[in-house]
Amino acid sequence: MATNRSGASQRPNGAPQTKVCQFKLVLLGESAVGKSSLVLRFVKGQFHEYQESTIGAAFLTQTVCLDDTTVKFEIWDTAGQERYHSLAPMYYRGAQAAIVVYDITNQDTFGRAKNWVKELQRQASPSIVIALAGNKSDLAAKRMVEFDEAQAYADENGLLFMETSAKTAMNVNDIFLAIANKLPKSEGAGGGSAAGARRLADGEQPRSSACCK
Amino acid sequence: MDEEYDAIVLGTGLKECILSGMLSVSGKKVLHIDRNKYYGGESASITPLEELFEKFNAPPPDETYGRGRDWNVDLIPKFLMANGLLVKLLIHTGVTRYLEFKSVEGSYVYKGGKISKVPVDQKEALASDLMGLFEKRRFRNFLIYVQDFDEQDARTYKGFDPTTDKMSKIYNNFGLDKNTQDFTGHALALYLDDSYLEQPAIQTINRIKLYSDSLARYGKSPYLYPMYGLGELPQGFARLSAIYGGTYMLDKPIDEIVLGEDGKVVGVRSGNEIAKCKQVYCDPSYVPDRVRRKGKVIRCICLLDHPIANTKDALSTQIIIPQKQVGRNSDIYVSLVSYTHQVAPKGWFIAMVSTTVETEDPESEIKPGLELLGPIRQKFVSVTDYFEPIDDGSQSQIFISESYDATTHFETTCLDVLKIYKRGTDEDFDFSKVKVELGEEEQ
Repeated sequence: MATNRSGASQRPNGAPQTKVCQFKLVLLGESAVGKSSLVLRFVKGQFHEYQESTIGAAFLTQTVCLDDTTVKFEIWDTAGQERYHSLAPMYYRGAQAAIVVYDITNQDTFGRAKNWVKELQRQASPSIVIALAGNKSDLAAKRMVEFDEAQAYADENGLLFMETSAKTAMNVNDIFLAIANKLPKSEGAGGGSAAGARRLADGEQPRSSACCK
Repeated sequence: MDEEYDAIVLGTGLKECILSGMLSVSGKKVLHIDRNKYYGGESASITPLEELFEKFNAPPPDETYGRGRDWNVDLIPKFLMANGLLVKLLIHTGVTRYLEFKSVEGSYVYKGGKISKVPVDQKEALASDLMGLFEKRRFRNFLIYVQDFDEQDARTYKGFDPTTDKMSKIYNNFGLDKNTQDFTGHALALYLDDSYLEQPAIQTINRIKLYSDSLARYGKSPYLYPMYGLGELPQGFARLSAIYGGTYMLDKPIDEIVLGEDGKVVGVRSGNEIAKCKQVYCDPSYVPDRVRRKGKVIRCICLLDHPIANTKDALSTQIIIPQKQVGRNSDIYVSLVSYTHQVAPKGWFIAMVSTTVETEDPESEIKPGLELLGPIRQKFVSVTDYFEPIDDGSQSQIFISESYDATTHFETTCLDVLKIYKRGTDEDFDFSKVKVELGEEEQ
């Protein structure tokens, strides 16, 4: 796996420890385009041919190591709430990155992906980093959405774009890595919590801001 | 929609969302519908600001109010007790992971026209201007008694039997005067009126303990408030329900709750579609013929561009005006939140004054509260009935929540939810059913 959990290890010439930045990433897209499968592949390296509709994952976390920074993603799945357009505003709240997924064998899902991008532009933070993922690239024989068409759309809208396959793992780590690279990692960048806000759990510290040493 | 469910939940207010989450977690197949296109029903936080003005038929806000989307205005004012039931529910269900909170900065009580900080420990009691010197000592002894009190250990009862002795007897034994009784019962035990005096003392003692245990958790005050407003709470529990398989439909009108020949619910109709179910859980607005009016609450939302005087410029606070201080039967509550909770743009405050209605002129009832606020930029008044179900739902299998009462916290809200859950499922909610490994964060 391209990801690496021990990013903050020794570095040459006594440089200080790497910075750890945490970001909230949300997944969007029609039912059954493979949103959960992409996450499962990225986080656990697994793939299930008959993945059931999303049940059970509040959110998962995974880290990506860049040169001088460890990027920790807090990945939110829709939990099926996209089905009848009932995603809560809370879902978009504070999201610093989004992956909008469509199925390359289904033209409708590409149209819906464009709507999700619009929805993000309306609801989410203006600085959100959006990636478009044309999933199920292993089924290229049944392709209905041309690569060039999606690439052109992504370029017009300033989105990252890759075709991915949760099944073969093609481009899965890469798309998360590309997002990690594009996210601002300067001190105090990103959304994160307001000062003094805390999560409730026994003995938990007030949550640090998105970027900290 | 044309499927069969174990339970259909109508309305996405906080109570219904908690119930929906609990039912889904327990393995029930749940369909959750709201006629509105947003989550939260009565417990929503309204955004943008333009929508709030429109809701109350006011002309649109001018540019001094900043960006409309920076506002999230609650319709019902409440805080969470840091050691209370809702926090326990949030932690046990993991919903807390979606939310962030801030401590409310101060808690005040009104006496003789001015406000004083609520004294909660021995040190504060001795420094308080609410009592004279000798009274302070008596109050201190009372606090020590409450602190040492342990329901499981009869030795700490010290000559009383709090399960039968009335609270008035305990007060008298400690020699507390009416004023001290007043702020103890209303600002610490958070009773709405004085009927508790003739009830067994154990309830009051446990309420004071809840107050001080909550205070001990994060300091400053026993209260917490979620970032972005109370409307985040139902959304969080709705997500829990969805994660455990619950299906969500917003913006879906409900035309009929369909009953079988035996009077038991068999489904819910929207237009030509019928979703079948064994049970319905809903708020009173979905079943007007199955609820009765229990009383009225007045709530006044006030937008301010300054903090409240004499609160040390607190960015959040609660002020309790005990009934007797203003010649009433029920307390008046003032709550204040602000831009620090991301519910208003920088520099703005949202105050809410509320009470149980006692007269034909509810607006003048809340005057003592409004007078504490100073200049008010915009005021929105609502007087609403609150309802309770006419039966326990066992016949019809329609389980109805009570409307939100005038209390300032969520304790009664959670008790209602737990009671409804028990009525509907015949069992207490088993927190161990929440699968810990799911979505667990590796820290």
